[in-house]
Amino acid sequence: MVAEPRAAATNPLRDPRDRRLPRVPDPCALVVFGVTGDLARKKLIPAIYDLGNRGLLPPGFALLGFARRDWDHGDFEELAMEAAKAHCRTPWRPEAWQRISEAVRFVPGSFDDDEAFDTLAQTLIDLEASHGIGGNTAFYLSIPPAMFPVVLKQMERTGMADNHVSGGWRRVVVEKPFGHDLASSRELNHLVDSVFTAKDVFRIDHYLGKETIQNLLALRFANTLFEPIWNAHYVDSVQITMAEDVGIAGRAGFYDSAGAARDVLQNHLLQLLALTAMEEPVAFDADALRIEKSKVLDAISLPTDLDRYAIRGRYEQGWLAGERVHGYLDESGIPKTSTTESYAAVRLGVETRRWAGVPFYLRTGKRLPRRVTEIAVSFAKAPHLPFAVTDTTELGNNQLVIRVQPDEGVTLRFGSKVPGSAMEVRDVSMDFSYGAAFTEGSPEAYERLILDVLLGDATLFPRNEEVEASWRVVDPLEAFWAGKQPHAYRAGEWGPRAADDMLAADGRSWRRP
Amino acid sequence: MTTLWDTTGTAVVRALSEARLEAGGVARGLVLTLVVVADEEQVAEAERAASVASSAHPCRVLIVVRRQVNAAQPRLDAEVLIGGRLGPGESVILRMSGRLGLHAESVVLPLLASDSPVVTWWVGDPPDLIAHDPLGVLADRRVTDIANAADPLAALEQRARDFAPGDTDLAWSRTTPWRAVLAGAFDGVPGTATDASVTARPGSTSGTLLACWLGGRLGIHVPVVEAEGRGIQAIELNLDGGEGAGGTTIALARDGDRSGTLSRTGEPDRTMPLPWFDLGDLLAEELRRLDDDPVYAAALGLSADLGDLADRPRTRTHVWRDPAERSAS
Repeated sequence: MVAEPRAAATNPLRDPRDRRLPRVPDPCALVVFGVTGDLARKKLIPAIYDLGNRGLLPPGFALLGFARRDWDHGDFEELAMEAAKAHCRTPWRPEAWQRISEAVRFVPGSFDDDEAFDTLAQTLIDLEASHGIGGNTAFYLSIPPAMFPVVLKQMERTGMADNHVSGGWRRVVVEKPFGHDLASSRELNHLVDSVFTAKDVFRIDHYLGKETIQNLLALRFANTLFEPIWNAHYVDSVQITMAEDVGIAGRAGFYDSAGAARDVLQNHLLQLLALTAMEEPVAFDADALRIEKSKVLDAISLPTDLDRYAIRGRYEQGWLAGERVHGYLDESGIPKTSTTESYAAVRLGVETRRWAGVPFYLRTGKRLPRRVTEIAVSFAKAPHLPFAVTDTTELGNNQLVIRVQPDEGVTLRFGSKVPGSAMEVRDVSMDFSYGAAFTEGSPEAYERLILDVLLGDATLFPRNEEVEASWRVVDPLEAFWAGKQPHAYRAGEWGPRAADDMLAADGRSWRRP
Repeated sequence: MTTLWDTTGTAVVRALSEARLEAGGVARGLVLTLVVVADEEQVAEAERAASVASSAHPCRVLIVVRRQVNAAQPRLDAEVLIGGRLGPGESVILRMSGRLGLHAESVVLPLLASDSPVVTWWVGDPPDLIAHDPLGVLADRRVTDIANAADPLAALEQRARDFAPGDTDLAWSRTTPWRAVLAGAFDGVPGTATDASVTARPGSTSGTLLACWLGGRLGIHVPVVEAEGRGIQAIELNLDGGEGAGGTTIALARDGDRSGTLSRTGEPDRTMPLPWFDLGDLLAEELRRLDDDPVYAAALGLSADLGDLADRPRTRTHVWRDPAERSAS
């Protein structure tokens, strides 16, 4: 038998049925701007180590750091090793790091320094010859958005961002915030898309890299059990919560200029809403998912009575987890005159046939009793109960809760008879825990997302239409809140009283996560 | 832990369900039952491997030890463990003596986790025909390990003759790191493979399977070069048409326990991960996929010159064989 002639792109050793072989990206380099920052040290570098340790990096791989430090490769390699060692998820193996460190480079310089960028461009060309990275490079912008224009202009000037000049692919990874309102996000999108092509821009929302979020899609679209009741006929309301117990330590400057709605609601919460409410995508790929998510985001409606249904709060001093904590205004770096919120709760509608009339309650906050993210779908009560009223006093709504973090899993709550001679129905919870059914370590969100960037798979990344549609939801809220004082809540409470009143007005209450 | 001496299958089922109730929440979310067929001296090794595998895939582990088939009185001893030394799930060690060993399924069937896949793993030599062992017939996936057989290559051929989809051998799992690196090295390489070779220890079943896989994928014959040492040691591949007219050579050689050196014409040598998996890791890899592996079927078929085996019927029917009769004849 003679092998058939084939294009260089097809690899005869790969077979979609061969699922033992891991997905490994093309030979490539990853350039991290702002490599001395927290994110790079705690998440990116450890994620790269973990990928390497799991054998998911290609034979030709190089890691480049760019920052304003007077360092050489050795200093950087040392820092990277410390970071990887301290934060890696998989066991530490010196020889695994050794493989990565062979191709670690550092380019010192500031972002307005032409010479430094010329060096960077030259280093990439050199690596192509010495490490076989084949002209493929991903740039990770782990820097404040204010620096984007100058960095992107440098890339344009040196031709680093150009697919044709480099003869491979060039991709860019951008972290939130994607602007601070619709106008600024358009400007940012325009800027990034003018330097890179739109399909080469990857906006990271690390929530979408979490296993449970991908499981939400499996739960909805791989089962027959849930989809028939996933609509306004059966769903009473949806609550999406992202609570944090920490304050704003270390991010005061940025946080005070943004607030909870811009920091979390605009991106994470609306993405979770979109995945919960969207129609079935025609395929599990980037374009099909983007189309469905955009449709939902475009269909979001704001309540007319914003006074009641758009609440923001700010924590006062209080006790949390046995420790006394400061109020928001007493945090260092926060001006006493600040009116920024640390808590936001809002009722949204989705104006489609599937969801008409179902309220989506979104809330996020800092200094809440515990760190938890979850999506709770509450089902309507049974239209008729054949039991005596006293038998079912303890029966609530059936609920399906997707626990995003921590304790990833799914809880189903339904009524069940209490053992005994009387007919008494009470809620019980059935738990599916990721930890118990598949203890095979779930990869860190960043690990998964970096791998996807290198593979060019944009399924789990929001596109710019989605970002803009989200700002169209948040902008009117911000305009309504402007100049008003947020409601107060004590640190360690589940948000301000007004947020409880908002649900009470609808005859509901917040779920205690 | 509950230990039951000279007991019955029904008592074991009851002991397991009592232990589950006592343990409360720990025993949730079973995804499969792993039946381990082992000899007494393999039990410790099998327990170690099963605990590694079951911590990655929570499962009910049933270790079946058959001893003294010719003992006069059949007897069953059992040990029920939940969340103990055998990982987070549930496990039962069943020691069967006498003729009971030939009817092990009568004890195992009621202990299988309901409506979930069953994987049977023979720690030592598998039966010549899997159909001879009812514990293989009732399984959805069957895992053998012929690397330690007296004549591994003959055992490999027997596996091919007896193959049904759902069978895999750990010799195949041992090739995965090599195949992963090689497939990565092939990405974006121009040209057509002209010749290749695999260097492995004499009688290495993994080496043979790797060579057959490579040959099958590339449409060439790949010989196995024998060299003393451990397992697979190196692969070399030549392609024409790349690197000007000179062609490209891709070579991968093990250096040390966890890594190998990958060389490609025109590029610097790279160190790649090439771990030695221990038994637990190999078993965990097998449990990750519970459907059949057509790529293995193709490589195994090629090794025995039997063509592609993936189209064979999936299920087997038990064939009665009495070891006492066989030794008498």
